[in-house]
Amino acid sequence: MGYGSTGKLLRVDLTRGAISVETFDESFYRLYPGGKALAAYLLLREIKPGIDPLGPDNVLALINGMITGAPISTATRFTAAARSPLTGAYGESEAGGFWGPELKLAGWEGIIITGRAAQPVYLAIKNDQVEIRDARHLWGQEPEPVQTALRAALGDRLTRVLQIGIGGENTVRYAALINDLRHFNGRSGMGAVMGSKNLKAIAVRGTGKYSDFAHDPQAVAEIGRRIAKRVKEHPQSWDLQEKGTPGLVSGLNAGGILPTRNFHEGAFAGVDKIKWEVYEKELLSARRSCYACAVRCKREVKVDDRYQVSDAYGGPEYETIGGFGPNCGIDDLQAIAKANELCGRYTLDSISTSAVVAFAMECFEHGLITSEQTGGAAWRFGNAAAMLQIVDWIAHRQGIGDLLAEGTRRAAAAIGGDAPYFAMHVKGQELPMHEPRGKVGVGLGYAINEGGADHLTAFHDPMYANPNSITFKAAAELGVTDPLPPRELSPRKAEAYARLENWSSFGKVIGFCYFGPAPRSLIQVEEVVEAVRAASGWDFDKDELLRIGERATNLARVFNAREGLSRKDDTLPDRLFGPLENGALTGVSLSREEFETAMTALYRAKGWDPATARPTPERLEALGIGWAADLMN
Amino acid sequence: MRLHLGGHLNWYDPQKRARLEIPLAAPVPLSALLEQLHVPSAEVAILTINGRLTQLETALVSDTDRVEVYPAIGGGSR
Repeated sequence: MGYGSTGKLLRVDLTRGAISVETFDESFYRLYPGGKALAAYLLLREIKPGIDPLGPDNVLALINGMITGAPISTATRFTAAARSPLTGAYGESEAGGFWGPELKLAGWEGIIITGRAAQPVYLAIKNDQVEIRDARHLWGQEPEPVQTALRAALGDRLTRVLQIGIGGENTVRYAALINDLRHFNGRSGMGAVMGSKNLKAIAVRGTGKYSDFAHDPQAVAEIGRRIAKRVKEHPQSWDLQEKGTPGLVSGLNAGGILPTRNFHEGAFAGVDKIKWEVYEKELLSARRSCYACAVRCKREVKVDDRYQVSDAYGGPEYETIGGFGPNCGIDDLQAIAKANELCGRYTLDSISTSAVVAFAMECFEHGLITSEQTGGAAWRFGNAAAMLQIVDWIAHRQGIGDLLAEGTRRAAAAIGGDAPYFAMHVKGQELPMHEPRGKVGVGLGYAINEGGADHLTAFHDPMYANPNSITFKAAAELGVTDPLPPRELSPRKAEAYARLENWSSFGKVIGFCYFGPAPRSLIQVEEVVEAVRAASGWDFDKDELLRIGERATNLARVFNAREGLSRKDDTLPDRLFGPLENGALTGVSLSREEFETAMTALYRAKGWDPATARPTPERLEALGIGWAADLMN
Repeated sequence: MRLHLGGHLNWYDPQKRARLEIPLAAPVPLSALLEQLHVPSAEVAILTINGRLTQLETALVSDTDRVEVYPAIGGGSR
């Protein structure tokens, strides 16, 4: 009888070409049950402060959640973590798909990758057989042929391939990892870290069963069956299956919170050309899923019209539509799908890439980037050809694309003038397509998240605004006592945010997708508790699950403190303290005073010192990680 | 009256219709209309009539109106 884990980590030293096995016991795993928690623990243990994120001293940790690989919808995710080359801070990104579960079924809870190979290599894993192999013939190739080649090399078409394209090879600071050609560890530049190590891909085949590791496999399977049957019976999971995230565009526009023209505006005149109905008619070729997931929120697209878009790389999600669409002033959904395809082929984070495109367009419109630098093209908002050119130049580091590949913070510093004002980032990571002036708790999440701006840190404010809504009732289960207006930026908003952040962080530890558990979707809080108990055999209640999430966040925060980050880094771009133009929230801005007051309340709610933004030794001790306090001295 | 049930709101309609055309002889409260379609008012976060934001509690709709309603997720709230 297991406790939900294989108990084994694979260690790969690329400098020496050495492979070894590291084991841990159940008591250790109870504290760090995978994903973000185990990754943050390993980074603190393995990485010395101040190392070059793109040098051999960085460590890339690929870690499954405890529940990852269970036959339960949305239990699919693994964490990729390292010191981020984009932010210099704790870097992390989760991906679904099939690679994480496959790694677990091969017997591995995760992989710790250190050093740097002298020449391109890939890792071949078939259960406990692991080899570092020559990848010189694959370097420079796109993910689709690489996946085909590696499946042939391992002699098994069910091999799952995690890899980088040229964005990662060229160490674009926001390069992503891609698995199965359509699932991404998008944020924080983990693809650049893998590229800097000369590691092209990790091909995995596992023939084990989750039941080999679970405490009560029958109970886990029964929970999985019960949840799968209910997907169509819950409005939110049904909606994810029907439309996926592209369904969000119209409503955000109506609410005045659809980021438009680099967060200048909150509504987009061309919204009817990029809404779900157009997506369904012009792009959609199939609905896809992750491992064992009945929600099936992934879209596949194929276009042979104004643009040719391959169906190999998956369809654009809301973030990508918002980013390359309204935020770049572009209303051609086929062009947006093409940009999404390029991000797949080059393995670029579509959030940061689209934000960099919007930044470059605004710089061009203000004369900070000239037509001499663009090859004569007018990089204006709304120019779809320019958008595709910029993405191409970034991936190849061509011309000024070389600077844009560094991210908005570095590019703005080099360009000078007003460019820093146009750089919409937190800690160096570009903003996702959610407007903090309309959802202030999302803004708190952008500001405080260790990896910079991220939309999956918070549960978005409208979810806990109406006391009779489905989402509020779920949030109340997690300890949110009062309904709060989405634009109320107050200490009580900060306290509610903190409570819910622990829940989103717990999901990143345990391996649940954001689109599984309530309040965002159908799996009720008590069912999550039940699933964790069945998988692990641990007598955890929901408060313990929230503590798991909190512990992980605190470890990441200690990592940042050690790198010298402080309260001044927990902020938002200046533009958000000015008024929104256009749309339902025209004229609305964030108040700096209210923001700082709420942040102080947020540090207090977390048990952190508001002056330093660091966890107090008492809080770390209460979370069972008192040892981490010494690392900040 | 043309009605768009955005986000997950058309799940509540037994026929799962996202776009409906409803003839109206006289103005009626939108909340009553949504009730007939089984859409809970607590799930409606954003409502526009002819492109203008409106409150559900007081909204009256007429035959020529274009009405859009969205939930909290993907709709936000004023």
